Amino acid sequence: MGKHSIFHSYGYDHQRTRTMNPPTRMIYMNNAATSWPKPPVVLDAVRQSLSLPVFGSGRTTGSQGDDYVTMARDVLSRFLHAGPPEHVIFTQNATDSLNLLIQGFLSEREGDCHVLTTALDHNSVLRPLHEYERQHRIRLTVLPFREGMVNPDTVEAAIQPATRLMVMTHGSNVLGSVQNIRRIGTILHDHGIYLIVDGAQTAGHIPLDLETLPVDAYVFTGHKALFGIPGTGGFYLRNPASVTPVRFGGTGTDSFSLFQPTGMPERFEAGTHNYPGLAALAAGVRYIQTVGIDTIAARAKHQTAFLIHELQQESNIFLSHDHPDLPIITFNIRGIGNDDVGFILARAYGITARTGLHCAPLVHREIDGGSGSVRLSLSWFTTDEEVAYTASAVREIAKNADSSVRPS
Amino acid sequence: MKEFLLDAPLTRDFFTYLGYFGQVEALPNVGDGFYKFEKQEWFMIKGFLGDTTIEVRFRKEVMDFTTDFLYFLLASYREGTMDLSVLKQRERSVGERVRKHLHGV
Repeated sequence: MGKHSIFHSYGYDHQRTRTMNPPTRMIYMNNAATSWPKPPVVLDAVRQSLSLPVFGSGRTTGSQGDDYVTMARDVLSRFLHAGPPEHVIFTQNATDSLNLLIQGFLSEREGDCHVLTTALDHNSVLRPLHEYERQHRIRLTVLPFREGMVNPDTVEAAIQPATRLMVMTHGSNVLGSVQNIRRIGTILHDHGIYLIVDGAQTAGHIPLDLETLPVDAYVFTGHKALFGIPGTGGFYLRNPASVTPVRFGGTGTDSFSLFQPTGMPERFEAGTHNYPGLAALAAGVRYIQTVGIDTIAARAKHQTAFLIHELQQESNIFLSHDHPDLPIITFNIRGIGNDDVGFILARAYGITARTGLHCAPLVHREIDGGSGSVRLSLSWFTTDEEVAYTASAVREIAKNADSSVRPS
Repeated sequence: MKEFLLDAPLTRDFFTYLGYFGQVEALPNVGDGFYKFEKQEWFMIKGFLGDTTIEVRFRKEVMDFTTDFLYFLLASYREGTMDLSVLKQRERSVGERVRKHLHGV
């Protein structure tokens, strides 16, 4: 066994956790929100990128430094198998990407427009679509899920003559379930329906081949599993003409024209890029490639399975989904609110998790009546020791959860 | 959410005192003893016995009214000048403002 796969030899006993000294550094289990720590090469890339004036074709007479934008585009394109590189567009984050794509897709479509999404989706999808529904620009159908999955047959059954678009998550940020977008995309394309996939939780966690997946646009964020820093994200767009640009401005090219250039990537990118962020994103993706995404996925699977097995030992711990595809474990403990569990984990055990609705209200309406849950989410930098300690801490809280008293 | 640094470690007596003004729940075997005080529509306090910090979550809409009351509660306990009749009178006064702001009555 490798050094990351020997859980039992650490001797973590849930009866002893409280009396043990917690690890000296914070145990960070909130990687589905933003990953931490970052690989040292990412921090180095940010520092390096700011050590010289930024270099971008058409934006400076200087020739020093690296073209981080082009570099990041090439790296992302290869990593996602999403060619050509100019079809990878950079934005501020996944929410920004989704807004650009949804608004851009809808902007020139008049008349009855029916759109599909799912109850698994994040507010980055749900809020734009509900706003457009409120403005009577679309009719919206939210598809249910069962055991973490949206059934492709349910998608097909929901298609109407006026269905033009489906926007859906690739991996649930609450349940960790990865959707069958290959099957769903094939069904949608058979009906001429456009598919935008929110890959905020999957890019960097699982191998992706966007050239063969039947998706029209795939959205990613830089600061989660791709190990970049906040303020970076983007999307891959198969057919640039399918989406109308809704953001305009300087590109450093074709500056005499008062209209947005139509070529890629300028069609969708205006204004000064986040050079340090894109340098970090390129470094983060290269780090993943160095380690190997299959290696990353394998360890995550092993650690997630261990954590779930441990939590299942306590009868008052309720897992929201017991076989996630991503390293995301969501649970509640009977007798104690999820917010209290998060507070106790942080203060008594030094474990940072996330509690509440995770910006996915419809998932929680289904799984816990909307009260929310505790989420633990792992990354490549999560050690087996940290996983074992966290499992012991949660079990210890659960063992004492039914002892609630009201002092007189 | 705000975090308050206290002069002295939290005690069970402190939460017993808070119990006059709202609901206290405790998990005495979790950590060194997890305690939570909730005054509906005002604020919630969480902390561990022996710790010198508490986390306070205010109801944002009425925070302007209730923050002063929290300071008053903490100061009264720290100084040992806990005249419950005075505290209760102040609680009623703030309560009227909170109700009026939140519910218009």
